[in-house]
Amino acid sequence: MMKDSDLFHGFLSSLSGISKLDFEVWDANGVLFLSDPDRSGEVDFEDRRAFSAHIMNHASYQRASGQGRPPMLGAPIKYGQQTIGALIACKPDSMPESRSKDGTTGKTHDAKEMETFLTHLANLMGETWANQKDVEEMAEELSQNFEDLSLYARISTHLKSLKFSGTMLGALIEELQETLRVDLSFVQMPERQEYNAMVSATGLSDRISDQNAFVDNLLGLIPRSTPSLEQDYFIVNDSGTIPEFRELCPEPYRFLAVKVGHDSHFDGWLGLVSFNMKEIFRQSELRLLQSMAKQISVLLANMDLYHELQHFVISMVKSLVYAIEAKDVYTRGHSERVNRYAMLMAERLKLDKTEKEVLNWASILHDIGKIGIPESVLNKPGSLDDEEFRIIKGHPEKGYNILEPLEQISESLPGVLHHHERYDGRGYPHGLKGEDIPFLARIIAVADTFDAITSNRAYRSSKSPEEALAIMDQVAGTQLTPDLVEVFKEVFETILKQEFETRHDGQGCGDKAIESTHRASRR
Amino acid sequence: MGNNKRVVVIDDDANIRRVMELKLRKGGYEVITAMNGEEGLNLIASEQPDAVITDIMMPKLDGQSLCEQTNHLKEQRPFLTIVMTNRISPDDRNWVNEMRETQLMEKPFSPSKVLARIDEYFCDK
Repeated sequence: MMKDSDLFHGFLSSLSGISKLDFEVWDANGVLFLSDPDRSGEVDFEDRRAFSAHIMNHASYQRASGQGRPPMLGAPIKYGQQTIGALIACKPDSMPESRSKDGTTGKTHDAKEMETFLTHLANLMGETWANQKDVEEMAEELSQNFEDLSLYARISTHLKSLKFSGTMLGALIEELQETLRVDLSFVQMPERQEYNAMVSATGLSDRISDQNAFVDNLLGLIPRSTPSLEQDYFIVNDSGTIPEFRELCPEPYRFLAVKVGHDSHFDGWLGLVSFNMKEIFRQSELRLLQSMAKQISVLLANMDLYHELQHFVISMVKSLVYAIEAKDVYTRGHSERVNRYAMLMAERLKLDKTEKEVLNWASILHDIGKIGIPESVLNKPGSLDDEEFRIIKGHPEKGYNILEPLEQISESLPGVLHHHERYDGRGYPHGLKGEDIPFLARIIAVADTFDAITSNRAYRSSKSPEEALAIMDQVAGTQLTPDLVEVFKEVFETILKQEFETRHDGQGCGDKAIESTHRASRR
Repeated sequence: MGNNKRVVVIDDDANIRRVMELKLRKGGYEVITAMNGEEGLNLIASEQPDAVITDIMMPKLDGQSLCEQTNHLKEQRPFLTIVMTNRISPDDRNWVNEMRETQLMEKPFSPSKVLARIDEYFCDK
């Protein structure tokens, strides 16, 4: 009970040296200090043990003397109301029997002084011990605060990024598990299972074979309403005391779960399980978990809003595409076909996810600027005059201007603006040359060219894909990027060729057929 | 777990000294603390520690100078130095890399992780 009694070792030893008194400190578990270590082997050692117990039981100053033994004096060491130990003093070389005959007054005086001295000393020890214990407790609490702080710091950096993914929650749970050193940490959200995460300590499988089922069962046992749930948490401090929880695992555990949700919306539970019954869930751990749950739910709400917005933009952009295609009967389905060809090329080019996303938008929107071109020009049979041609050539820039306010697709804008640049620098709008033309724009140019040749136009009818490839070969290096023409040819051979062959309409206008396969493949 | 390893903790923040002292004591280490770089430097010379935990921003002598001035001691008698800093800058990484047996840790730190690092260091030895 009184650890670290070494606090007084030096003091008591020197005191023993000058006063000819032997000092001992005992607590309920046994002796903690002997100013004369040799005495531990003496016959009256057990008597002294009994004497210390006697002092502790009575919690008051005691005196004992007996057959031929020097008297023992002892004072209780107190910590608040509690007696935590005993300070004993004896005079080893005094001759109690002969002394007692010396004169009682002197002795009483001596004894009184002794009582005062020992009681003071014991009180001092108790106070010092209490102080030390307070400091230690504060340091312990401080240490826990440091742990929490460091966990907060690390977790908040995780939470800062809006790019929310299942793996991110996993990392969060791992941090939590590592810092709180519990046996199982999890986040379970029935309607967002893709974000569910669970981390368990090594060796947990010996206790619980099916951890998923265990967690499901635990969560299933949380009652519908209980006072703690008003603060969005549920706690089991000892599963051994609650039959339903004991049933899940014979070994006692403690369990803490905090609700994840925003407003009145419930997302799921963030929880901890520990088999370490020497400790309890602390208030700071609950607070930490609660604030994590709150942040997760805010993040989920943001993510929902973000997706909603994304969805809105997608729908809006799609209606824009339909709007231009409605104006230009000949190009119906063109944007989607160019989009598909471009994406097939992207696959072949092994572009990464972000580049694909950017290309996806750029290719579907590349002709969006045509919305600003009069139908009379768009659908004019025969050749265009200079003015009309100038108007047509304005569509990439018009498209750029239309899309510029949409932050979500800002990276796709170069693809839209430059899809009519030529490899030899004679294209429009900026006359960029070769590698100066954005890569994605050059991909779109190839896909666009192929579809233009193989589709009907106001001014000519469609050509076969083989003819188209031959033409593209001719313009590789002048109009189109040679490498990308090659890539397209590979895509054609492996995927598109077969589709064109199965289209047996002689008119060459295969828009519907492609559109339907395209749509089917996107579903 | 008394391993007789001695750790010097140098930080001008008393709370950090107290927390680390408690944590390391419980982990079985002997701990001596110093509240500035200069005191720390003297302790390293006189106590021959097995590990040093030091802050960077300190009065009298900063953590970097402390490391630079004690680095040569490690030739004869290697010991671990853990440098704590609020935000790890590339600059910190660079100079720490130049030092023998020196690691960086970011504040706010987890006391148990610091203990784990030190345990790990002696395990590997």
